[in-house]
Amino acid sequence: MTYVGKSIPRNDGFDKATGLGIFTQDVALPNMLFGKVLRSPYAHAKVISIDTSAAEALPGVEAVCTFENTTNKPFNTSATMITTNPGAEPVRDQRVFTGEPLYIGDEIAAVAAVTEKIAEDAVKLIKVEYEVLPAVFDPLEAMKPEAPDVQPEFGCKEHKNVCGEIVEFGIGDIGKGFEEAEVIVEADIELPRVKQAQMETHGAVASYKANGTLEVYSPTQTPHPTKMILAYALDMPESKIHVQNPPYVGGGFGVRIGLSGKAEILAAVLSMKALKPVKIQYSREEDFLASDTRHGGYLHCRLGAKKDGTFVALDTTAWLNTGAYATFGVELLGVCGACGTAGTYRVPNMHYKGFPIYTHQQTAGAFRGFGTPQGTAVVEAAVDKMAQKLGMDLLELRKMNTTKPDDKNWFPFPVGSVAINECIDKAAEGIGWKEKRGKAQSGNIRRGVGIACGTHVSNAAPFCVDYDAVYLRIEQDGSLHIGTGIPEIGPGSTTALIQVACDLLGVPFDTAVMKFGDTAAAPFDIGSHATRTLYAVSQVIRDAAEKIRKDIFEYAADFMGVPADKLDMSEGIIFGEGKEYPLSRLAYEAHLRGKQFFAAECKVPPNSLPWYAQAAEVEVDMELGIVKVIKIVSAHDVGKVVNPRLCEGQIEGGVLQGVGYAVREEMTYVDGKGFYNKGFHKYMLPTADDRPEIVPIMIESNDPAGVMGIKGIGEVGLCATVPAVLSAVEDATGVRFDAVPLVPGRVIDGFKKAGLIK
Amino acid sequence: MEKLNVTVNGKFMSVDVDPELCLADFLRDRLFLTGTKIGCGKGECGACTVIMDGKAVTSCIIPVMRAEGSVIETIEGVSDGDKLHPIQEEFINKGAIQCGFCTPGMIMSSKALLDRNNDPTADEVKEALGGNICRCTGYVKIEEAVMSAAERMRNGETSK
Repeated sequence: MTYVGKSIPRNDGFDKATGLGIFTQDVALPNMLFGKVLRSPYAHAKVISIDTSAAEALPGVEAVCTFENTTNKPFNTSATMITTNPGAEPVRDQRVFTGEPLYIGDEIAAVAAVTEKIAEDAVKLIKVEYEVLPAVFDPLEAMKPEAPDVQPEFGCKEHKNVCGEIVEFGIGDIGKGFEEAEVIVEADIELPRVKQAQMETHGAVASYKANGTLEVYSPTQTPHPTKMILAYALDMPESKIHVQNPPYVGGGFGVRIGLSGKAEILAAVLSMKALKPVKIQYSREEDFLASDTRHGGYLHCRLGAKKDGTFVALDTTAWLNTGAYATFGVELLGVCGACGTAGTYRVPNMHYKGFPIYTHQQTAGAFRGFGTPQGTAVVEAAVDKMAQKLGMDLLELRKMNTTKPDDKNWFPFPVGSVAINECIDKAAEGIGWKEKRGKAQSGNIRRGVGIACGTHVSNAAPFCVDYDAVYLRIEQDGSLHIGTGIPEIGPGSTTALIQVACDLLGVPFDTAVMKFGDTAAAPFDIGSHATRTLYAVSQVIRDAAEKIRKDIFEYAADFMGVPADKLDMSEGIIFGEGKEYPLSRLAYEAHLRGKQFFAAECKVPPNSLPWYAQAAEVEVDMELGIVKVIKIVSAHDVGKVVNPRLCEGQIEGGVLQGVGYAVREEMTYVDGKGFYNKGFHKYMLPTADDRPEIVPIMIESNDPAGVMGIKGIGEVGLCATVPAVLSAVEDATGVRFDAVPLVPGRVIDGFKKAGLIK
Repeated sequence: MEKLNVTVNGKFMSVDVDPELCLADFLRDRLFLTGTKIGCGKGECGACTVIMDGKAVTSCIIPVMRAEGSVIETIEGVSDGDKLHPIQEEFINKGAIQCGFCTPGMIMSSKALLDRNNDPTADEVKEALGGNICRCTGYVKIEEAVMSAAERMRNGETSK
């Protein structure tokens, strides 16, 4: 392979390092207006009256849209809207605006004006009279019979405020499993909401023209699904809607799978009213308080084993806070069970039950890991407890129970290659496990090491609609052009995929390009989510590359006097039987005769399991309750490394998000006021100043289902950090915390409860 | 409107501006220097960092008239024609860029540091970047890029 395996600098590096790359924030169109949104100050209320006359009268205001004059059609802002498998119905519980707000921040109305300032002033002139209604914020409280109904239409029948349906599945016989168990442990964990905090806030520019066409620029992670959501909600033909990234996207981490906040549709309805382009750029405060977060909530796990350590039963329940609207609630609880609890270990009797619970808080949706970090946190806590109860080594207990290559586990596809034990060994070795674990300590500053492991998926098939279509064409000078609908949200997929394509085809990288992030650039693509882009799109590129090579060789056979089946191609040179012919020349000869080489392909990818283990070293100040993560060694079975530097970047970035989750980040809800974390000064993201040493390790297991052995990497850098850090803190202090983040207040409380301090 | 005399990326200009603007909006909306990004509008994330009279500043909280008589450098002025600055090249080569939204601010903070100290310690680099948030990279490769650009600058390389 010429390109796969090399750290080729990313091809958008020049645009991004020079400031010339265009993001949605930079898009400006002629005649453009600016939109601002009126949001509910109450967690649950009914609008008694709304008066927009003063706003409409303000000079410079060109459109005022409210729940009264705008389409009331229910939809879902997330991609689940159009990716729910045949036979099941997506939960459509959102509207563009609402007259019954369900969280602090819910959209009541919006204004478009010639300047941002005028739009802001006009929003303040809208008079709304509310009747405040009872609200519920905690998922367990919301399930009680006396709790107010958040979404009476969409709750499941058996349980109060459960969104859509309970997610429940298993293998074997869980009751029998626990009967067989000789040792049983239980673990609980309480997890906070955390925020994606992607650097570019939500936003969009929408331009509706009176001829019925709608052009949208946005940072969506899923241009094609976004087009379909807009078409459905606005009752427009999909063919008349064009959605594009401009082309760069300032981060995603799941928060823009579907609409970016609600920016696209808010800008669209304003533009339809004003018949001018409208730009909406969320403030950081709006981004924090009115767009999806990670799901917080509670999990409980019961694990049974034989005395020799063999796991025989694993039963997990999750009660997660999905907030006011469903978006990904049901799907996320599924992944929490499937990847977070059912994947890592071979357990003959496994059961999982997940409750996505509506509350009157802002919606929780997709955030890197998508339920896997939550499930992994509680299962790994139980595994640590089991090791202690059995008096076994944490590493050995894990390694004897992890899924093995020929196992048939819960997943409806082969487990493929499995290097999880190698991940455990490498992570443990990298952190200095033998020397550091289990050292009795006294004194104020104590150090400890911990470990956790797990798996995830490399796309969402077959759990929901998940496929890609691409086309490849050879330009008349022999250079490769790839058309895809994927976005480039940061990982470098559009560089790594060209590396794969050039090796599969046998053409040079330097002249190859990919058009991306644009519904007009290529047929349908589900977009960038679920650790899928490199894995899944390389599948469809491989099939298209085979077609195009066949076409090229058949055409070249006549020119070269060599049978097509004797030809091969490398670096743009076709060769066989001692003869050579440049593709550049063949492409032009073909052009002169009215032919271009091109191929299109569309398919559902297989799926592969990306295994990982993470070891953490922490330093704990016993007096101040400060937990400092010193080092994380993150070992990943990536199948095959396409671009080492880009792959390391995925791990390193994921790890630091995991460290934030474990020790710093938290959305704190204040009754009556909403979330306290309105900006970066109140939401403690890790900075360069306080990051730990991060050691990424990539292990190549060559997955049989992946192109060239590739598996996904995008989400998994953070999936094991919380339990690894909790394990390390336990090693340092003897206290196992069952909640994060480990901020000083929580740590001191824990030490007090444990009797370590007064 | 007030008269603003300012040098931006080596070009002196005397322009009428709305004094209520912040420097970032002046650069982005008036001069179309959209390489300077706005991540929070409150000086908390560093995406809008530019160099003003040799110092890295968050341009989203600087009233535009504070720039009177000053010399401003933005991301668009870092390279010399088609020749990238070593910091830009190292950001690209070391994998310090992912989504790219924080990148202009990161490069400007790095340049302000390396222009005055081209032999920084690891801690000095972390400190200089302490006000710039990146949510993608975990900062590892950004710090590597700055160190490696520093080495090239010690060897006499600049873009200008």
